[in-house]
Amino acid sequence: MSKNKLIGMWGFPDPEILNQIKLKYPGFEIIDLDQNLNHPNTELLPDNSCKIIKNIVDNAVYLKNNLELIIASVGEEKCDAGRFAARILTELGFNIIETKYNKTCTKKIKIPVSTSDLPLKQKVLTIMDNIIVPVKKEFRIKKADYGFWGVPPNDISILDLFPDNTHVYGWTRCVEAGAPADLDLEMFVDENIPTVFYAQTFCAKMQLGKHLARKYNGLYLDVDDVASNSVKAKIEAFIRLG
Amino acid sequence: MTKLIIDAGTSWSKILEISCKADFKSIILSVNKDFQQYQIQESKFFYDKDNKKFFGNLFLIPSTLAATLPVEFDNATGHMVKKRIKSGGYYENEVISLAYGAKKLVKNLKDATIVDIGSRDLKWVQFIDGKYKDLDWNSSCGSVTGATVDMLCKFYNVDPNKISIQTEKIPLVCGVFAMEKIMDDISKNTPADIAIAKYLHGIAYNTWKFAKKPQKMYLSGGFCSNNCFTETLKLYCDVVPLGRYVLLKGLF
Repeated sequence: MSKNKLIGMWGFPDPEILNQIKLKYPGFEIIDLDQNLNHPNTELLPDNSCKIIKNIVDNAVYLKNNLELIIASVGEEKCDAGRFAARILTELGFNIIETKYNKTCTKKIKIPVSTSDLPLKQKVLTIMDNIIVPVKKEFRIKKADYGFWGVPPNDISILDLFPDNTHVYGWTRCVEAGAPADLDLEMFVDENIPTVFYAQTFCAKMQLGKHLARKYNGLYLDVDDVASNSVKAKIEAFIRLG
Repeated sequence: MTKLIIDAGTSWSKILEISCKADFKSIILSVNKDFQQYQIQESKFFYDKDNKKFFGNLFLIPSTLAATLPVEFDNATGHMVKKRIKSGGYYENEVISLAYGAKKLVKNLKDATIVDIGSRDLKWVQFIDGKYKDLDWNSSCGSVTGATVDMLCKFYNVDPNKISIQTEKIPLVCGVFAMEKIMDDISKNTPADIAIAKYLHGIAYNTWKFAKKPQKMYLSGGFCSNNCFTETLKLYCDVVPLGRYVLLKGLF
Protein backbone atom coordinates (compact mmCIF):
# COMPACT_ATOMS: atom_id res chain seq x y z
CA MET A 1 0.00 0.00 0.00
CA SER A 2 1.23 3.50 -0.82
CA LYS A 3 2.40 5.55 2.16
CA ASN A 4 1.54 8.83 0.42
CA LYS A 5 -1.18 10.98 1.88
CA LEU A 6 -3.98 10.92 -0.60
CA ILE A 7 -7.04 12.87 -1.62
CA GLY A 8 -9.53 10.60 -3.39
CA MET A 9 -11.95 11.78 -6.05
CA TRP A 10 -14.36 10.32 -8.56
CA GLY A 11 -16.37 11.52 -11.52
CA PHE A 12 -15.98 15.20 -12.29
CA PRO A 13 -15.83 17.25 -9.09
CA ASP A 14 -16.68 20.95 -9.20
CA PRO A 15 -13.33 22.45 -10.34
CA GLU A 16 -13.61 25.32 -7.87
CA ILE A 17 -13.95 22.94 -4.92
CA LEU A 18 -11.17 20.72 -6.28
CA ASN A 19 -8.87 23.74 -6.53
CA GLN A 20 -9.68 24.80 -2.97
CA ILE A 21 -8.80 21.33 -1.74
CA LYS A 22 -5.57 21.34 -3.72
CA LEU A 23 -4.57 24.64 -2.10
CA LYS A 24 -5.56 23.43 1.36
CA TYR A 25 -3.65 20.15 1.05
CA PRO A 26 -0.38 20.88 -0.76
CA GLY A 27 1.76 17.82 -1.24
CA PHE A 28 -1.18 15.42 -1.21
CA GLU A 29 -1.51 13.17 -4.21
CA ILE A 30 -4.95 13.24 -5.82
CA ILE A 31 -6.11 9.84 -6.92
CA ASP A 32 -9.02 8.97 -9.23
CA LEU A 33 -10.91 6.18 -7.44
CA ASP A 34 -12.92 5.31 -10.58
CA GLN A 35 -9.94 3.43 -11.97
CA ASN A 36 -9.39 -0.28 -11.64
CA LEU A 37 -6.39 -0.38 -9.29
CA ASN A 38 -6.78 -4.13 -8.71
CA HIS A 39 -7.47 -3.75 -5.01
CA PRO A 40 -9.36 -6.58 -3.27
CA ASN A 41 -13.11 -6.93 -3.73
CA THR A 42 -14.76 -5.77 -0.51
CA GLU A 43 -18.10 -7.31 -1.55
CA LEU A 44 -19.82 -4.30 0.00
CA LEU A 45 -21.87 -3.81 -3.17
CA PRO A 46 -24.10 -6.38 -4.90
CA ASP A 47 -22.42 -8.41 -7.65
CA ASN A 48 -24.57 -6.79 -10.31
CA SER A 49 -23.27 -3.29 -9.66
CA CYS A 50 -21.36 -1.16 -12.13
CA LYS A 51 -17.66 -2.08 -11.96
CA ILE A 52 -16.63 1.57 -11.80
CA ILE A 53 -18.67 2.08 -8.62
CA LYS A 54 -17.23 -1.15 -7.21
CA ASN A 55 -13.76 0.25 -7.99
CA ILE A 56 -14.59 3.41 -6.03
CA VAL A 57 -15.66 1.49 -2.95
CA ASP A 58 -12.91 -1.15 -3.14
CA ASN A 59 -10.16 1.44 -3.74
CA ALA A 60 -11.43 3.65 -0.93
CA VAL A 61 -11.58 0.81 1.58
CA TYR A 62 -8.12 -0.48 0.63
CA LEU A 63 -6.57 3.02 0.81
CA LYS A 64 -8.55 4.13 3.86
CA ASN A 65 -5.53 4.80 6.07
CA ASN A 66 -3.96 7.04 3.43
CA LEU A 67 -7.06 8.95 2.40
CA GLU A 68 -7.47 12.32 4.05
CA LEU A 69 -10.78 12.89 2.30
CA ILE A 70 -12.71 12.01 -0.83
CA ILE A 71 -14.27 14.53 -3.21
CA ALA A 72 -17.33 12.74 -4.54
CA SER A 73 -19.29 13.65 -7.67
CA VAL A 74 -22.92 13.09 -6.78
CA GLY A 75 -24.81 15.17 -9.34
CA GLU A 76 -26.02 14.53 -12.89
CA GLU A 77 -22.38 14.61 -13.99
CA LYS A 78 -22.00 11.18 -12.33
CA CYS A 79 -24.93 8.95 -11.41
CA ASP A 80 -27.21 7.75 -8.62
CA ALA A 81 -24.84 4.88 -7.91
CA GLY A 82 -22.08 7.43 -7.25
CA ARG A 83 -24.39 9.35 -4.92
CA PHE A 84 -25.23 6.17 -3.01
CA ALA A 85 -21.55 5.18 -2.85
CA ALA A 86 -20.82 8.56 -1.22
CA ARG A 87 -23.44 7.86 1.44
CA ILE A 88 -22.18 4.30 2.05
CA LEU A 89 -18.59 5.50 2.42
CA THR A 90 -19.71 8.27 4.77
CA GLU A 91 -21.37 5.64 6.94
CA LEU A 92 -18.13 3.62 6.83
CA GLY A 93 -16.31 6.57 8.38
CA PHE A 94 -14.77 8.26 5.34
CA ASN A 95 -14.49 12.02 5.15
CA ILE A 96 -16.57 12.76 2.05
CA ILE A 97 -17.02 16.12 0.38
CA GLU A 98 -19.95 15.91 -2.04
CA THR A 99 -19.98 18.11 -5.13
CA LYS A 100 -22.46 18.62 -7.94
CA TYR A 101 -21.38 20.07 -11.25
CA ASN A 102 -24.32 20.15 -13.60
CA LYS A 103 -22.85 22.66 -15.99
CA THR A 104 -23.82 22.44 -19.66
CA CYS A 105 -21.85 23.66 -22.66
CA THR A 106 -21.38 27.11 -24.01
CA LYS A 107 -21.76 27.25 -27.79
CA LYS A 108 -18.06 26.87 -28.62
CA ILE A 109 -16.60 23.83 -26.98
CA LYS A 110 -12.93 23.02 -26.91
CA ILE A 111 -12.13 19.36 -27.42
CA PRO A 112 -8.57 19.24 -28.81
CA VAL A 113 -7.73 15.89 -27.19
CA SER A 114 -10.90 14.08 -28.34
CA THR A 115 -10.13 15.02 -31.94
CA SER A 116 -6.34 14.69 -31.78
CA ASP A 117 -3.95 12.23 -33.41
CA LEU A 118 -3.06 10.60 -30.09
CA PRO A 119 -3.74 6.86 -29.71
CA LEU A 120 -7.27 6.43 -28.35
CA LYS A 121 -6.16 5.16 -24.94
CA GLN A 122 -3.86 8.14 -24.58
CA LYS A 123 -6.71 10.49 -25.54
CA VAL A 124 -9.01 9.09 -22.87
CA LEU A 125 -6.32 9.01 -20.15
CA THR A 126 -5.23 12.56 -21.00
CA ILE A 127 -8.81 13.80 -20.73
CA MET A 128 -9.28 12.14 -17.35
CA ASP A 129 -5.88 13.27 -16.02
CA ASN A 130 -6.79 16.78 -17.08
CA ILE A 131 -9.49 16.86 -14.37
CA ILE A 132 -6.81 16.69 -11.70
CA VAL A 133 -3.90 18.49 -13.39
CA PRO A 134 -4.79 20.61 -16.42
CA VAL A 135 -2.71 19.64 -19.44
CA LYS A 136 -1.15 22.63 -21.14
CA LYS A 137 -0.10 21.24 -24.49
CA GLU A 138 -0.93 21.66 -28.16
CA PHE A 139 -2.56 18.71 -29.93
CA ARG A 140 -2.62 17.97 -33.65
CA ILE A 141 -6.13 17.43 -34.96
CA LYS A 142 -6.67 14.29 -37.03
CA LYS A 143 -9.69 13.60 -39.25
CA ALA A 144 -11.85 10.85 -37.76
CA ASP A 145 -12.46 7.55 -39.53
CA TYR A 146 -13.91 5.89 -36.40
CA GLY A 147 -15.60 6.95 -33.20
CA PHE A 148 -15.54 5.75 -29.62
CA TRP A 149 -18.54 6.84 -27.54
CA GLY A 150 -18.74 6.32 -23.82
CA VAL A 151 -16.97 6.43 -20.50
CA PRO A 152 -13.37 5.35 -19.85
CA PRO A 153 -13.74 1.55 -19.75
CA ASN A 154 -12.83 -0.40 -16.63
CA ASP A 155 -10.76 -2.59 -18.98
CA ILE A 156 -8.88 0.27 -20.59
CA SER A 157 -6.94 -2.18 -22.83
CA ILE A 158 -9.88 -2.37 -25.24
CA LEU A 159 -8.97 1.13 -26.40
CA ASP A 160 -5.75 -0.29 -27.86
CA LEU A 161 -7.86 -2.02 -30.50
CA PHE A 162 -8.82 1.27 -32.15
CA PRO A 163 -6.71 3.14 -34.70
CA ASP A 164 -5.37 6.61 -33.84
CA ASN A 165 -7.89 8.26 -36.16
CA THR A 166 -10.68 7.49 -33.69
CA HIS A 167 -12.43 10.48 -32.15
CA VAL A 168 -13.85 10.47 -28.63
CA TYR A 169 -17.55 11.09 -28.02
CA GLY A 170 -20.07 10.72 -25.21
CA TRP A 171 -19.35 11.42 -21.54
CA THR A 172 -15.57 11.46 -22.04
CA ARG A 173 -15.93 14.26 -24.60
CA CYS A 174 -18.23 16.09 -22.16
CA VAL A 175 -15.47 15.85 -19.55
CA GLU A 176 -12.99 17.42 -21.93
CA ALA A 177 -15.47 20.17 -22.76
CA GLY A 178 -15.86 20.84 -19.02
CA ALA A 179 -19.56 19.97 -19.19
CA PRO A 180 -19.92 16.46 -17.76
CA ALA A 181 -23.70 16.72 -17.34
CA ASP A 182 -24.51 18.02 -20.82
CA LEU A 183 -26.85 15.39 -22.22
CA ASP A 184 -27.03 17.01 -25.67
CA LEU A 185 -23.27 16.90 -26.03
CA GLU A 186 -23.20 13.39 -24.62
CA MET A 187 -25.62 12.22 -27.30
CA PHE A 188 -23.76 13.89 -30.15
CA VAL A 189 -21.82 11.79 -32.67
CA ASP A 190 -20.70 12.38 -36.25
CA GLU A 191 -23.30 10.25 -37.91
CA ASN A 192 -21.21 9.19 -40.92
CA ILE A 193 -18.38 7.82 -38.81
CA PRO A 194 -18.59 4.15 -37.73
CA THR A 195 -18.78 4.37 -33.95
CA VAL A 196 -18.50 1.90 -31.12
CA PHE A 197 -20.93 2.76 -28.33
CA TYR A 198 -19.52 1.55 -25.04
CA ALA A 199 -21.06 1.39 -21.58
CA GLN A 200 -20.16 -0.36 -18.37
CA THR A 201 -22.57 -3.21 -17.68
CA PHE A 202 -25.16 -2.21 -15.03
CA CYS A 203 -24.61 1.50 -15.77
CA ALA A 204 -27.65 3.55 -16.81
CA LYS A 205 -25.65 4.79 -19.80
CA MET A 206 -26.31 1.37 -21.37
CA GLN A 207 -29.70 2.84 -22.35
CA LEU A 208 -28.11 5.70 -24.27
CA GLY A 209 -25.44 3.52 -25.82
CA LYS A 210 -27.89 0.97 -27.17
CA HIS A 211 -30.27 3.65 -28.43
CA LEU A 212 -27.50 5.60 -30.18
CA ALA A 213 -25.96 2.47 -31.71
CA ARG A 214 -29.33 1.63 -33.24
CA LYS A 215 -29.87 5.21 -34.41
CA TYR A 216 -26.44 5.57 -36.03
CA ASN A 217 -25.87 1.97 -37.05
CA GLY A 218 -22.93 1.61 -34.71
CA LEU A 219 -21.70 -1.25 -32.56
CA TYR A 220 -23.12 -1.39 -29.04
CA LEU A 221 -21.03 -2.99 -26.31
CA ASP A 222 -21.37 -3.28 -22.59
CA VAL A 223 -18.63 -4.89 -20.57
CA ASP A 224 -18.69 -5.60 -16.85
CA ASP A 225 -15.12 -6.24 -15.72
CA VAL A 226 -12.54 -7.48 -18.22
CA ALA A 227 -13.42 -7.63 -21.91
CA SER A 228 -13.77 -11.18 -23.24
CA ASN A 229 -12.14 -12.33 -26.46
CA SER A 230 -15.51 -12.12 -28.21
CA VAL A 231 -15.90 -8.45 -27.22
CA LYS A 232 -12.43 -7.71 -28.55
CA ALA A 233 -13.15 -9.66 -31.73
CA LYS A 234 -16.37 -7.71 -32.28
CA ILE A 235 -14.50 -4.41 -32.06
CA GLU A 236 -11.79 -5.68 -34.39
CA ALA A 237 -14.36 -6.96 -36.89
CA PHE A 238 -16.38 -3.74 -36.74
CA ILE A 239 -13.27 -1.72 -37.54
CA ARG A 240 -11.95 -4.06 -40.24
CA LEU A 241 -15.25 -4.71 -41.98
CA GLY A 242 -16.87 -1.31 -41.55
CA MET B 1 5.35 -26.92 -50.04
CA THR B 2 2.49 -28.08 -47.82
CA LYS B 3 0.48 -25.35 -46.15
CA LEU B 4 -1.92 -25.98 -43.29
CA ILE B 5 -4.94 -23.82 -42.55
CA ILE B 6 -7.11 -24.47 -39.50
CA ASP B 7 -10.39 -23.41 -37.92
CA ALA B 8 -9.88 -24.79 -34.43
CA GLY B 9 -13.25 -24.83 -32.76
CA THR B 10 -13.84 -25.89 -29.19
CA SER B 11 -14.94 -29.42 -30.14
CA TRP B 12 -13.93 -29.88 -33.77
CA SER B 13 -11.02 -28.66 -35.86
CA LYS B 14 -11.48 -28.09 -39.56
CA ILE B 15 -8.15 -28.30 -41.37
CA LEU B 16 -7.18 -27.72 -44.98
CA GLU B 17 -3.92 -29.20 -46.21
CA ILE B 18 -2.81 -27.45 -49.37
CA SER B 19 -0.88 -30.21 -51.06
CA CYS B 20 -1.28 -32.93 -53.66
CA LYS B 21 0.02 -35.46 -51.17
CA ALA B 22 -1.80 -36.36 -48.01
CA ASP B 23 1.15 -35.88 -45.65
CA PHE B 24 -1.06 -34.51 -42.95
CA LYS B 25 -2.93 -37.77 -42.63
CA SER B 26 0.29 -39.64 -41.84
CA ILE B 27 1.15 -37.03 -39.21
CA ILE B 28 -2.21 -37.62 -37.55
CA LEU B 29 -1.81 -41.40 -37.74
CA SER B 30 1.64 -41.15 -36.16
CA VAL B 31 -0.03 -39.59 -33.12
CA ASN B 32 -3.26 -41.53 -33.09
CA LYS B 33 -3.95 -44.71 -35.02
CA ASP B 34 -7.66 -44.33 -34.39
CA PHE B 35 -7.65 -41.48 -36.86
CA GLN B 36 -8.83 -43.97 -39.50
CA GLN B 37 -12.31 -43.17 -38.23
CA TYR B 38 -11.83 -39.54 -39.25
CA GLN B 39 -11.39 -39.84 -42.99
CA ILE B 40 -10.41 -36.98 -45.29
CA GLN B 41 -13.69 -35.20 -45.88
CA GLU B 42 -12.86 -33.94 -49.35
CA SER B 43 -9.88 -33.92 -51.73
CA LYS B 44 -10.50 -31.41 -54.46
CA PHE B 45 -9.61 -28.09 -56.07
CA PHE B 46 -10.33 -24.91 -54.11
CA TYR B 47 -10.11 -21.26 -55.13
CA ASP B 48 -8.39 -18.56 -53.09
CA LYS B 49 -9.58 -14.96 -52.81
CA ASP B 50 -7.69 -14.06 -56.00
CA ASN B 51 -9.52 -16.90 -57.74
CA LYS B 52 -6.34 -18.95 -58.01
CA LYS B 53 -6.99 -22.67 -58.12
CA PHE B 54 -5.19 -25.09 -55.80
CA PHE B 55 -5.55 -28.67 -54.64
CA GLY B 56 -6.25 -29.48 -51.03
CA ASN B 57 -7.43 -32.08 -48.54
CA LEU B 58 -10.06 -31.20 -46.00
CA PHE B 59 -9.96 -32.82 -42.55
CA LEU B 60 -12.41 -32.81 -39.67
CA ILE B 61 -10.87 -34.03 -36.42
CA PRO B 62 -11.56 -33.52 -32.72
CA SER B 63 -9.78 -30.46 -31.36
CA THR B 64 -8.35 -32.58 -28.55
CA LEU B 65 -6.53 -34.59 -31.25
CA ALA B 66 -5.51 -31.46 -33.19
CA ALA B 67 -3.95 -30.10 -30.00
CA THR B 68 -1.53 -33.06 -29.82
CA LEU B 69 -0.25 -32.86 -33.41
CA PRO B 70 3.40 -31.82 -33.86
CA VAL B 71 2.63 -29.13 -36.44
CA GLU B 72 2.27 -25.38 -36.73
CA PHE B 73 -0.26 -23.71 -38.98
CA ASP B 74 0.06 -21.11 -41.69
CA ASN B 75 -3.33 -19.43 -41.22
CA ALA B 76 -5.70 -20.00 -38.35
CA THR B 77 -8.90 -19.01 -36.63
CA GLY B 78 -10.70 -20.38 -33.57
CA HIS B 79 -10.29 -20.59 -29.83
CA MET B 80 -7.75 -23.38 -29.66
CA VAL B 81 -4.84 -22.45 -31.87
CA LYS B 82 -3.50 -18.95 -31.22
CA LYS B 83 -0.10 -20.10 -30.02
CA ARG B 84 0.54 -22.58 -32.83
CA ILE B 85 1.01 -20.34 -35.82
CA LYS B 86 4.14 -20.43 -37.99
CA SER B 87 6.33 -17.38 -38.09
CA GLY B 88 4.99 -15.31 -40.98
CA GLY B 89 1.55 -16.91 -40.66
CA TYR B 90 -1.49 -15.12 -39.32
CA TYR B 91 -4.42 -15.50 -36.95
CA GLU B 92 -7.83 -14.11 -37.84
CA ASN B 93 -10.64 -13.71 -35.36
CA GLU B 94 -13.73 -15.83 -35.87
CA VAL B 95 -16.15 -13.06 -36.82
CA ILE B 96 -13.85 -11.77 -39.54
CA SER B 97 -13.25 -15.32 -40.81
CA LEU B 98 -17.01 -15.84 -40.91
CA ALA B 99 -17.50 -12.61 -42.86
CA TYR B 100 -14.76 -13.43 -45.40
CA GLY B 101 -15.99 -17.01 -45.75
CA ALA B 102 -19.53 -15.78 -46.34
CA LYS B 103 -18.33 -13.35 -48.99
CA LYS B 104 -16.79 -16.31 -50.79
CA LEU B 105 -19.76 -18.66 -50.45
CA VAL B 106 -22.87 -16.50 -50.71
CA LYS B 107 -23.48 -15.28 -54.23
CA ASN B 108 -26.00 -12.59 -53.37
CA LEU B 109 -25.09 -10.43 -50.41
CA LYS B 110 -27.85 -7.90 -51.08
CA ASP B 111 -29.47 -8.65 -47.74
CA ALA B 112 -27.77 -11.62 -46.11
CA THR B 113 -27.42 -12.68 -42.49
CA ILE B 114 -24.83 -15.40 -41.97
CA VAL B 115 -24.97 -17.17 -38.61
CA ASP B 116 -22.38 -19.55 -37.22
CA ILE B 117 -23.37 -21.82 -34.35
CA GLY B 118 -20.36 -23.37 -32.69
CA SER B 119 -19.95 -25.77 -29.85
CA ARG B 120 -20.08 -23.00 -27.35
CA ASP B 121 -21.02 -19.77 -29.06
CA LEU B 122 -23.12 -17.99 -31.61
CA LYS B 123 -22.01 -15.28 -34.00
CA TRP B 124 -23.46 -13.57 -37.02
CA VAL B 125 -22.63 -11.00 -39.67
CA GLN B 126 -25.08 -9.13 -41.85
CA PHE B 127 -24.37 -7.71 -45.31
CA ILE B 128 -26.56 -5.22 -47.14
CA ASP B 129 -25.84 -4.46 -50.80
CA GLY B 130 -22.60 -6.42 -50.56
CA LYS B 131 -21.26 -4.33 -47.68
CA TYR B 132 -20.89 -5.21 -44.02
CA LYS B 133 -23.80 -3.82 -42.00
CA ASP B 134 -23.98 -5.41 -38.54
CA LEU B 135 -22.59 -8.22 -36.38
CA ASP B 136 -22.76 -9.79 -32.97
CA TRP B 137 -21.08 -12.58 -31.06
CA ASN B 138 -22.52 -14.13 -27.97
CA SER B 139 -20.21 -16.46 -26.14
CA SER B 140 -21.69 -16.33 -22.66
CA CYS B 141 -25.51 -16.57 -22.74
CA GLY B 142 -25.29 -18.55 -25.98
CA SER B 143 -22.69 -20.89 -24.66
CA VAL B 144 -22.34 -24.64 -24.80
CA THR B 145 -25.10 -25.10 -27.36
CA GLY B 146 -23.75 -27.55 -29.92
CA ALA B 147 -21.68 -29.29 -27.27
CA THR B 148 -24.77 -29.83 -25.11
CA VAL B 149 -26.67 -31.49 -27.96
CA ASP B 150 -23.66 -33.73 -28.69
CA MET B 151 -23.37 -34.74 -25.04
CA LEU B 152 -27.09 -35.38 -24.60
CA CYS B 153 -27.32 -37.51 -27.73
CA LYS B 154 -24.37 -39.61 -26.58
CA PHE B 155 -25.63 -39.90 -23.01
CA TYR B 156 -29.19 -40.93 -23.97
CA ASN B 157 -28.05 -42.92 -27.00
CA VAL B 158 -30.13 -40.81 -29.38
CA ASP B 159 -29.28 -40.67 -33.09
CA PRO B 160 -29.25 -36.93 -33.95
CA ASN B 161 -30.43 -37.79 -37.47
CA LYS B 162 -33.60 -39.38 -36.16
CA ILE B 163 -34.94 -36.56 -34.00
CA SER B 164 -38.25 -35.05 -35.14
CA ILE B 165 -39.29 -31.43 -34.88
CA GLN B 166 -41.19 -30.40 -31.76
CA THR B 167 -43.44 -27.36 -31.76
CA GLU B 168 -42.85 -26.93 -28.04
CA LYS B 169 -39.52 -25.42 -27.07
CA ILE B 170 -37.29 -25.29 -24.03
CA PRO B 171 -36.75 -21.55 -24.13
CA LEU B 172 -33.12 -21.46 -23.05
CA VAL B 173 -30.10 -20.98 -25.23
CA CYS B 174 -27.51 -21.61 -22.54
CA GLY B 175 -26.66 -25.29 -22.49
CA VAL B 176 -25.80 -25.26 -18.79
CA PHE B 177 -29.27 -24.10 -17.76
CA ALA B 178 -30.96 -26.13 -20.48
CA MET B 179 -29.41 -29.35 -19.21
CA GLU B 180 -31.44 -29.10 -16.00
CA LYS B 181 -34.70 -28.52 -17.92
CA ILE B 182 -34.03 -31.38 -20.32
CA MET B 183 -33.27 -33.83 -17.54
CA ASP B 184 -36.32 -32.61 -15.66
CA ASP B 185 -38.42 -33.28 -18.76
CA ILE B 186 -36.95 -36.77 -19.15
CA SER B 187 -37.56 -37.55 -15.48
CA LYS B 188 -41.26 -36.82 -16.17
CA ASN B 189 -41.23 -39.61 -18.77
CA THR B 190 -40.70 -37.44 -21.85
CA PRO B 191 -38.65 -39.56 -24.30
CA ALA B 192 -35.07 -38.27 -24.56
CA ASP B 193 -35.30 -37.59 -28.31
CA ILE B 194 -38.35 -35.38 -27.75
CA ALA B 195 -36.71 -33.45 -24.89
CA ILE B 196 -33.61 -32.89 -27.05
CA ALA B 197 -35.80 -31.77 -29.96
CA LYS B 198 -37.49 -29.24 -27.67
CA TYR B 199 -34.07 -27.92 -26.73
CA LEU B 200 -33.11 -27.74 -30.41
CA HIS B 201 -36.25 -25.69 -30.95
CA GLY B 202 -35.15 -23.35 -28.15
CA ILE B 203 -31.72 -22.94 -29.77
CA ALA B 204 -33.29 -22.36 -33.20
CA TYR B 205 -35.65 -19.70 -31.88
CA ASN B 206 -32.94 -17.93 -29.87
CA THR B 207 -30.52 -18.06 -32.80
CA TRP B 208 -33.09 -16.38 -35.04
CA LYS B 209 -33.88 -13.79 -32.36
CA PHE B 210 -30.21 -13.11 -31.57
CA ALA B 211 -29.56 -12.52 -35.28
CA LYS B 212 -32.31 -9.84 -35.24
CA LYS B 213 -35.02 -12.02 -36.81
CA PRO B 214 -33.86 -12.18 -40.45
CA GLN B 215 -36.25 -13.44 -43.15
CA LYS B 216 -33.49 -15.63 -44.51
CA MET B 217 -30.54 -17.10 -42.67
CA TYR B 218 -27.34 -18.54 -44.11
CA LEU B 219 -26.31 -21.14 -41.57
CA SER B 220 -22.71 -22.12 -40.77
CA GLY B 221 -21.44 -24.82 -38.43
CA GLY B 222 -22.11 -28.39 -37.41
CA PHE B 223 -25.85 -27.77 -37.00
CA CYS B 224 -26.11 -27.59 -40.81
CA SER B 225 -26.15 -31.39 -40.80
CA ASN B 226 -28.72 -31.67 -38.02
CA ASN B 227 -31.95 -32.03 -39.93
CA CYS B 228 -34.18 -31.49 -36.92
CA PHE B 229 -32.44 -28.20 -36.17
CA THR B 230 -32.56 -26.81 -39.71
CA GLU B 231 -36.21 -27.84 -40.16
CA THR B 232 -37.10 -26.24 -36.81
CA LEU B 233 -35.31 -23.04 -37.80
CA LYS B 234 -37.44 -22.99 -40.94
CA LEU B 235 -40.47 -22.37 -38.71
CA TYR B 236 -39.02 -18.84 -38.35
CA CYS B 237 -37.10 -18.03 -41.54
CA ASP B 238 -35.74 -19.42 -44.80
CA VAL B 239 -32.58 -21.39 -44.15
CA VAL B 240 -29.60 -21.91 -46.46
CA PRO B 241 -27.03 -24.29 -44.92
CA LEU B 242 -23.46 -23.41 -45.88
CA GLY B 243 -21.76 -26.29 -44.05
CA ARG B 244 -19.14 -26.29 -41.34
CA TYR B 245 -16.18 -24.95 -43.34
CA VAL B 246 -17.28 -21.33 -43.75
CA LEU B 247 -14.74 -19.87 -41.31
CA LEU B 248 -11.98 -22.04 -42.77
CA LYS B 249 -12.80 -20.80 -46.26
CA GLY B 250 -12.55 -17.24 -44.98
CA LEU B 251 -8.84 -17.83 -44.36
CA PHE B 252 -7.67 -18.19 -47.97
